[in-house]
This record gives sequence, structure tokens and C-alpha cells, in this order.
Amino acid sequence: MSLNVLGSLASAEGGGFETPTTAEFYQPLLFDGPLAITRPAVVLMLSVGLIAWFLIATTRRAAIVPSKGQWVTEGAYGFIRNGVARDIIGSKDFLRFVPLLFTMFVLILVNNLFGVIPPVQFPTMSRIGIPIALTLVVYVVYHYIGIKRVGLGAYFKHLVPDGLPGWIVPLIFVLEVITFFITRPLTLALRLFGNMFAGHLLLLLFITGGEYMIIHGGIGLKIAGAGSFAMAFVLTIFEILIEFLQAYIFTLLAATYIAGSLSDEH
Amino acid sequence: MQLFTGATQVATLVTAGEAEQLPVLPHWGELIFGVIAFAILYWIVREKVVPRLEKMYADRTAAIEGGMRQAEEAQQEAQAALEQYKAQLAEARVEAARIRAEAQEQGAAIIAELRAQAQAEANRIAEASHKQIEAERAQAIVSLRSEVGRLSTELASRIVGESLQDEVRQSGIVDRFLAELEQGGARPETVGQDA
Amino acid sequence: MTGNIAILGYGLSAIGPGVGIGLIFAAYINGVARQPEARGMLQSIAILGFALAEALAIFGLVLAFVFK
Repeated sequence: MSLNVLGSLASAEGGGFETPTTAEFYQPLLFDGPLAITRPAVVLMLSVGLIAWFLIATTRRAAIVPSKGQWVTEGAYGFIRNGVARDIIGSKDFLRFVPLLFTMFVLILVNNLFGVIPPVQFPTMSRIGIPIALTLVVYVVYHYIGIKRVGLGAYFKHLVPDGLPGWIVPLIFVLEVITFFITRPLTLALRLFGNMFAGHLLLLLFITGGEYMIIHGGIGLKIAGAGSFAMAFVLTIFEILIEFLQAYIFTLLAATYIAGSLSDEH
Repeated sequence: MQLFTGATQVATLVTAGEAEQLPVLPHWGELIFGVIAFAILYWIVREKVVPRLEKMYADRTAAIEGGMRQAEEAQQEAQAALEQYKAQLAEARVEAARIRAEAQEQGAAIIAELRAQAQAEANRIAEASHKQIEAERAQAIVSLRSEVGRLSTELASRIVGESLQDEVRQSGIVDRFLAELEQGGARPETVGQDA
Repeated sequence: MTGNIAILGYGLSAIGPGVGIGLIFAAYINGVARQPEARGMLQSIAILGFALAEALAIFGLVLAFVFK
């Protein structure tokens, strides 16, 4: 595995330390094979249940003067509605996309935060299938609006800005097609996945490494193990920041792509 | 998406062989779960949460605008009331000034009237007393004249021994005497001489 | 020492985005310092630029796992 460098170093000193590998992330609970019900799938469903319950409970009596729970919901909603949807898409027809963006944001945020919240401690988004599912939604939505607005042929024609010299048009066209159909969805899904995956792996490494050093190491390694735990704590705080940021970025980019399909030029 | 479908074959190959697979290849169960989870949550948010929150936003905007309108109305009302009060106050002031002026006028009139009355009374009293005095004086003169005449004739008759009882002569003598007396030239000798 | 040369590839691929993200946020801080009222607008642009630059590093990370 890719992180065996560290593992072999550790095993050379203490003997028998298994570095956390990418296999840590594959945890089937029921069945086996490609359609197994895995831990992230269960966590995802749990998160959907929790979010749905929370959102419905806090908005049941949506009062003009908000209660505490409503204030939280309203804060997140106002952030997405005004800070992302209205600013990026424009005040004309942003309201159509607010449910989509709000769902994205809340789902990603809660699942990301599950990465550090104790009873779950598994970032759902570190399984690439789930970011791909969300990206698929955005991908379908922004192509659908673009094609519906101007038609299929015009949509491809619009990929190239007007007024370019003739010889450069095919080049730009190829680049734009790659950007629109490959790079955008790929980066959207991989960014979320990569951040969550790497972050979780890092936390795993520091925690399991610290644990191993404290249990099996000498006095020097015990101190290093404590340092490792401290590092894990700092990184956990950092992870929380990253988790918020990634949820925001995903939503922001989704809004940007939708805005691009709605506007006349790219 | 071609990349992903291509990757699927690799993924299925890998998952068929071993439980562990490349982390960058989607696990189909999770991908399907992801789409389903998103669909469920999206439906809930679109049907329940967003309408409620939007309604709340609209209500809040309406409430704020309503509050502002209400405040404006209240202010206008207060302004109107203030102006009304001011008008009333000015009216009252004018009224008070008018009443005061009237009272002054009336007072002056009363004083003038009283003064006139008093003056008239005083004049009347003075005139009456003048007249009375005049009358009394006249009376006194008349009575004095007759008294003086009677006395002087009596005295003269006693002295002269001559009866001067004749009325006409008597009064003629008395009158002549009195006239001389008034002129200052009356002397007892001349009286005796004349008599 | 055993290991995977792909992890070096990731290290190399992180250099460019690292510099790029640094430049983006430096520009963002400059912009906010000059015009604090433009913060909201600059923020989403900066985050957008950050996300685009970061994509390259993420590619590197992913490729490190793909090519065993």
C-alpha cells in the first residue's frame, strides 16, 4: 500500500505496527460483493433520518421570532439561500435551486461532521460512491437546464465564446467539452472524496500510531505517542474546518455550474 | 462518465476477487444509496422545509413592513393630534385674549358709566343745594325785610308817636330806607329829617 | 525501505496547488485589506479559486491510489 513507508519504519523500530490502510474504509455490514450494505450506507441513511427529523421539527412552527432550533436551521438556510444561491445564480430564478443546494449542503455537512462525531466517526464522503452520487445529480441538473434552455445543438455551440479566430475554435471546443463533461464532475466528486478520505486517514494514522507507541513503546515512544494524540486533536479541529469548507465549496461549485448553464455565455 | 463506467468493470473485477478495492472506484451499493438518500432528503426539503421557511421569510418581511407602516401611521396620528392641540391652544389663546379685551372694555364702560352717574348725581346734588340755598336766602331776605320793616316802623312809631299803620306809606318808607341802606348813604339824621 | 513511488507523485503534485492557494489567499487578504466592504464578494471568488487549484492536488492524491 501507499502508506507502507511509514508502516515499515514503525515496524522496524517497534515491530508489528499495522498502518491504517485504505481497506479501513470498506466495512460491509450485510452481504458481500458490489451491492453489500456497508457502514457508510447505513450512516448515510441515519444522517438522512436525522436531518429530516431536525429540519421538520425545527420548522414545524416556523415563527417570525425564531426558537433556538429554528435559528440554527434558519442560519444554514439563509446562508445557502442568500450567500450562495442568490449571489451566484442571481435573484431572478435562484429560488428554484434553493432546495437542491440546501439539501446538498446539509447532507454533505452532516456526513462530513460524522467523521469526527464520536458514536459514528466515519466520514461517509470518504467512500467515493456517495460523492459521485451527489455529483451525478449536479451533473444531470446543470446539463439538463442548459440543454433545455437553448437546445442541444445550441448548447454545444455556446461552449465556445463568440468572436474567436477560426483556427482556435476547435481547440477551445475540445477543451470546453473536456471541462464541462469530464473535469467538472470529476473534480467535484474527487475533491470532496479526497479531502474526507485523506483527512480521515491522517486521523487514523495519528490515533492508531499513538496508541501503538503508548502501549508497546519505551519511555521515549510513550512521550511521542502523547504528542501523536495531541496532533490528532489539533487535526480533528482542523478537520472540522475542512468539513465545513468542503460542504460549502461543493455547494458553491454546484451553484456556479448551474449559474453557468443559466447565463448566456460562459 | 465514460471514465466511471470503465472503472466499474475494474471495480467489479476487483470486488469479485477480494473484499478490498481501490478507494477511488465507486462501490455500487453506496452509489445507489447515495442517490436514494439524496432523493429522499431533497423531496423532504422541497416539500416541507423550504416552503415553510420561505413562508416564514415572507411573513417576517410582511411583519416588518407592517410594523413600519403601523409606526408611520402612529406617527402621523401623533402629528395630527399635536397639530390639533396646537390649533386648539391657539384658539383658546385668541378666545382668552378676546375675553380679556371684552372684560377690559366692559370694565372701562362700567367705570365710565359709574363715573358719569356719580358726576350727574353730584351735579344734581350741588344744583339742588344751590337752589335750596337760593330759596332759603330769598326766603330769609323776604322774611328779614318784613321783620326789619315791622321792627323799624314799630320803633319809629314809638319814637315818632305817629301811627304809621298805613300800609302803603309804611311799605313806601321801608323800601326807601332799605334802598338808602343798601346804597350806604343811610343816616339816622336823614331818616329823622325825612320823616 | 519499501513503498510506492506514486506517493512521491502526490508530493510533487501538491507543490503547484500549494503555491497557487497561497497566492490566491494572499490576493484575497490584500483585497480585503484595501476594501473591507468587498469581503463578501471576494470570499466566494477566493474559495472558488482555492477549489480549482486544490483539484490538482486531489488528482495527485487519487492517482497515487490508482496506480499501485
